[in-house]
Amino acid sequence: MSHDRGTGDTAQAPWKSPVMLSVFLHGLIVVVTLAGWSWARPDNPAPPPSISARLVTQAEPEPSPVVDVVDEPDREQERQQAREEERRRQQEAERRRQEQERAEEARRIRQQQEKERQKQAEAEREREQQRQREQQAAKQKAEAEAKEQARQKAEAEQRRQEAARKAAEAERRAEEQRRRQEAERKAREQEQARLEAERKRKERERQLRESQLEALADEALQQRQAEERRRKEAAAARARQAEMLTESQKYRALIRDRLMREWYPPPAATSAMSTTLQITLLPTGELASASIVSASGNTAFDNSALSAARSVGRYPVPDDPQIFDQYFRRFPIEFNPENR
Amino acid sequence: MKNRDNLWGRRLSVLIFVWISLLAVPAVGDELLIRITEGADSAIPISVVPFSESGQMPAEEKVSRIIQNDLQMSGEFDPLPPEQMLSLPSEGSDVFFRDWRLLGQRYVLVGQVSNAGGTLQAQYELYDVSQEKRLVGATASAPLSASRSLAHHISDRVYEAITGVPGAFSTRLAYVTLERLVSGPVYRLQVSDVDGKRARIRLESDEPILSPAWSPDGTKLAYVSFETGKPAIYVHELASGQRQRVADFSGLNSAPAWSDDGRSLLMTLSKDGNAEIYRMNLASGDLKRLTNHWSIDTEPTYDHTGQGFFFTSDRSGGPQIYHQASDDAAPRRITFGSRYNARPRTDSSGDYVYYVHQREGAFSIARTNLETGDETVLTRTESDESPSLSPNGRMLIYATKSGDGSVLTVISAEGGAAYSLPASRGEVRDPAWSPIVR
Amino acid sequence: MKMTVSQKLIALVFFLGLMAGCSSTGDTMGQDDMEAGSDAGTTSGQQEQGGSTVFGGGDGSGVSSAEMTDEQRREAEARAERAQEQAMREITTFYFDFDTAEIKPEARDVLIAHARFLQANPGQNVRIEGHADERGTKEYNLALGERRANAVQRFLVVNGAARGQTETVSYGEEKPAVMGDSESAWAQNRRVELIFQ
Repeated sequence: MSHDRGTGDTAQAPWKSPVMLSVFLHGLIVVVTLAGWSWARPDNPAPPPSISARLVTQAEPEPSPVVDVVDEPDREQERQQAREEERRRQQEAERRRQEQERAEEARRIRQQQEKERQKQAEAEREREQQRQREQQAAKQKAEAEAKEQARQKAEAEQRRQEAARKAAEAERRAEEQRRRQEAERKAREQEQARLEAERKRKERERQLRESQLEALADEALQQRQAEERRRKEAAAARARQAEMLTESQKYRALIRDRLMREWYPPPAATSAMSTTLQITLLPTGELASASIVSASGNTAFDNSALSAARSVGRYPVPDDPQIFDQYFRRFPIEFNPENR
Repeated sequence: MKNRDNLWGRRLSVLIFVWISLLAVPAVGDELLIRITEGADSAIPISVVPFSESGQMPAEEKVSRIIQNDLQMSGEFDPLPPEQMLSLPSEGSDVFFRDWRLLGQRYVLVGQVSNAGGTLQAQYELYDVSQEKRLVGATASAPLSASRSLAHHISDRVYEAITGVPGAFSTRLAYVTLERLVSGPVYRLQVSDVDGKRARIRLESDEPILSPAWSPDGTKLAYVSFETGKPAIYVHELASGQRQRVADFSGLNSAPAWSDDGRSLLMTLSKDGNAEIYRMNLASGDLKRLTNHWSIDTEPTYDHTGQGFFFTSDRSGGPQIYHQASDDAAPRRITFGSRYNARPRTDSSGDYVYYVHQREGAFSIARTNLETGDETVLTRTESDESPSLSPNGRMLIYATKSGDGSVLTVISAEGGAAYSLPASRGEVRDPAWSPIVR
Repeated sequence: MKMTVSQKLIALVFFLGLMAGCSSTGDTMGQDDMEAGSDAGTTSGQQEQGGSTVFGGGDGSGVSSAEMTDEQRREAEARAERAQEQAMREITTFYFDFDTAEIKPEARDVLIAHARFLQANPGQNVRIEGHADERGTKEYNLALGERRANAVQRFLVVNGAARGQTETVSYGEEKPAVMGDSESAWAQNRRVELIFQ
C-alpha cells in the first residue's frame, strides 16, 4: 500500500488518502472483472441434434466424425466357422452389402451431414474463431483500451502520484520544515506551555471547581426554576380550584349566615341533636327541594331545621355555572347547636 | 458524586413539598357540608289571627288575645299585632302563605270559636309558614265561664307543637300580696292563672305570709305564716280550704319544700340551736335532721333525682348555694362567683340551678350550668328575689322592686324577654309556679 | 321612779346624741355613739338649758354654800348611776352591719344595762325581735334576723339575765322600720329590738 502514514499529519493530498486509493483499486478490480468477462466465458452448451435418427445407438454429444465400428472376427475360431459363416457371410455379406449400402448411404449422408456439420462447425468455428478473434480483438482492444486507460490512468495516477509524491514530498519538506519549526516552536512553547500549563492547571482546577459549582448552581437554579414552573402550574390549577372553592366558600358563608338568622332552634335543643338536610337549588338560587337525610330523633328540632331551610326564598348562589353545578346544585346542611 | 446526592435530595424535598401542599388543600368532600351551629337569638315571629266568633261570647278577653299574651309571656315568641295582618283567615283554606312570608312570620294560628248551647267550642289550626304545612288541627271545648282555660289549653298545644316542650300556660301561680293600709298591713296568699288573672285569695292575715310551695299534685300549698306571732309552717288544701299547722317548733319554722311523692317536706328549723334543714314525714310528723353546721342552712329544694337537695348556707362566710346528694352525703358548694348566692331552684332535667345572685351591690337572678359550672346572670333589674321555675323548665318568674313595692316578672329560662304581670293592689311577692296537672 | 329635771335633761341630751348617731353612716354613727354612750360620768362639759351645772364640782357658782356630806355624795352618785342606766335602757334598738350578727361595741354597755335590769327584776321578761334589711332572700333574712336576736339574747344571758326571761323571734325583712331602698333605710332596718313585757 502506498499510503502515507504520517504520525498525526492531516495535511495530505486528498487523492493520496488511503480511502481514495482503496476506492480506486477496488474500481480497478471491478473494471478488470468486467473486461475479463469476455475471457472467461463458460462453455457453450452443445447445439441440439437436429437430424432424425437413422443412427441408432449412439447419440453423439460432440460433433465428431462418425466412425463405423467394425468388429474384427476371430480368425482361428472363425476358420472353422468360416464355411458356416460363409454362408452367413454371404448372407451377411449381402446384408452387409445392403447394410453397407445403407451404411454408405448413411455414411454419405452422414458424411454429407458431417461435412455439412463440419462445414457448419468449421464455419461456426471460424465464426467462433472470428468471434473469438473479434472478441479477443475486442478484448484486446478493450484490454488495450483498458490498458491504455489503465496506462493513462496509471500514468495519470503516476502523474498524480508523482505530483502527489512531489506535493507530498514538498509537503513533507514543508512539513518537515514546519515540524522543525514547530518542533522548535513547540520546544519553546512547551517550555512556556509547561509553565502556563502549570498555571492553567491550577486555574483550570479553580475554574473547574468554579464551573462545577456554577454548574451545580445552574442546575439548582434550573431545578428551582423548573420547580417554580411546576409550582406555578400547580398553583394555577390549585388557584382555579381555590377560586372555585373560595367562591363557593363565600357563598357557603352567605348561606350559613342567612340560615343562622332564620333558624329558631327549639329551647330544649342540645348539642347532641343534629339534623342534616339535603338541599336542591335551581341556578337562580330558588329552593327546589329540602329533605331530611339524617334526623335528630326530636320532631320539633327536625321541623325547626326544615322550617329554616324553607323560609329562605332565594339562596345566595354564584353566577358561575361551573361552581354552581359543582357545589350548589345539591348540598347538605347540618343543624347542630354548639353552645348547649 | 456530591452533586448527584444533592440532586436527589432536592428532588425528594420537592416531592414532599408538593405532596404536603396538596394535603393542605382541604378535601373537596369536607367543604360540601354547611354547618349551622347557632340560630337566631330573637323570639319566633308568630301570628295568632283573631279567631272568628259565632254566638254569644263571654265578656272575658278574647281567646286569641289570651293565646297571644301567653306566647308573648314565654319570651320565646314574638306575636304579630293583629292590626299589621294583611288578612284574617279563620281556617286553613284561607291561609295564603305568601302573605305571611311577606310579613316575616314563621307560624300562623287560625281558628273559630262558637257558642254551642252554653259550651264554648274552638276549632283551631297551626301552620308552619315556610314549610306550608299544618302542624296542629284540633278542637277543644269548655264551659263559657272557662274561656280562659280553653285559651290556655290551645296555647299549650301550640307551644308544644313548635318547641317539642309541653306548654305551662294552664298552670297556676301562688303568691303573696301586701297592702299597707293605715290600720296596718294586710297580707294575702293568692292563687291565679299564669298570666295573673282569675286570682283568688286563700289566706288573709295581719302578719306576714312567706314561701308558698305547691305540692307535686297541685292540690295543696305549704307556706309560712306569722299569724301566731312567730313563723310556723302550714299545709293548706286548696279545694277544701282546710289546712294543718305541721311545724311550730321554737325558733324558725320556714322554707318548706315538697318531696316528689308529696309525702314529706324539707324545712328549716332552728329548734336545735341554729337554722338547719330537716325532713318531716307529713303523715307521722317524724323529723330527720339533714344538715349539721353552726352556719345558717336554709332554703332547701329537692334536685331532679328527688334524692338530693340544694340549699343556701353561709358556712363559707356568706350565703352560697350547696348541693347535698343524699341525706348523709357531704354538701358540695356550687356557687363561687360572688359573695351572696341564695335561694336555689332547679328544673326536672337537672341541667341548671337558678338563684338570687349579688353582683356589685345589685341582686339579680342567675343560673349555673351544673355540668360546666358556668354562671349566667339572667336579669338586668337590681332588686330581684324569689325565683320560681315553670314546670317545663322554660320560664322563670320572680319578684322585683318597682317603686315602693314589687311586681312579678316572667322571663325565659335563658333570661330573654321580660314580661311583667299586671300589678294587683299593693305589692306582689314570693311567687310559686304550680306543676302541670293533666 | 322619780327623776329630777336635770336627770331628764341629761336623758334628753343622751337621746339627742343617739339620734344624731343613728342618722349618719356606720362609722360616724359609732363615733357618735361613743360620744353619747360612754361619757356617762363626765358630763361636766355638756351644755344644757338653764345655765346651772348638773353635778357638783369645784367650780359651782350656783350651788348652795352648804357642802355635801360623803354619804350624800355617794347617794347622789348612786342615783346618778341608776339614772344613767335608765337612760341607757331607753335604747332598745341595736343595729348591725350587712349580713352579720355581730354586736357593735357601742351597744354593749346598753345591753349590759338591760341585762342588769333583768337580773334585778326576775319577773321582767323581754322579747328580742330580729330583723334584716330587704336585700337578699326572705328565708335567709329570716335566719339572719334570728341569728341577730340570738346574739343579743346570749349577750344578755351572759351578762346576768336569766334565759327564761328572754324570748326571740325573727321577722326577717318582713317588718322594716323604715321604708325605702337607700343605704340609710337599710341600715335602720338591720336591727334587733327589745320589747319589754
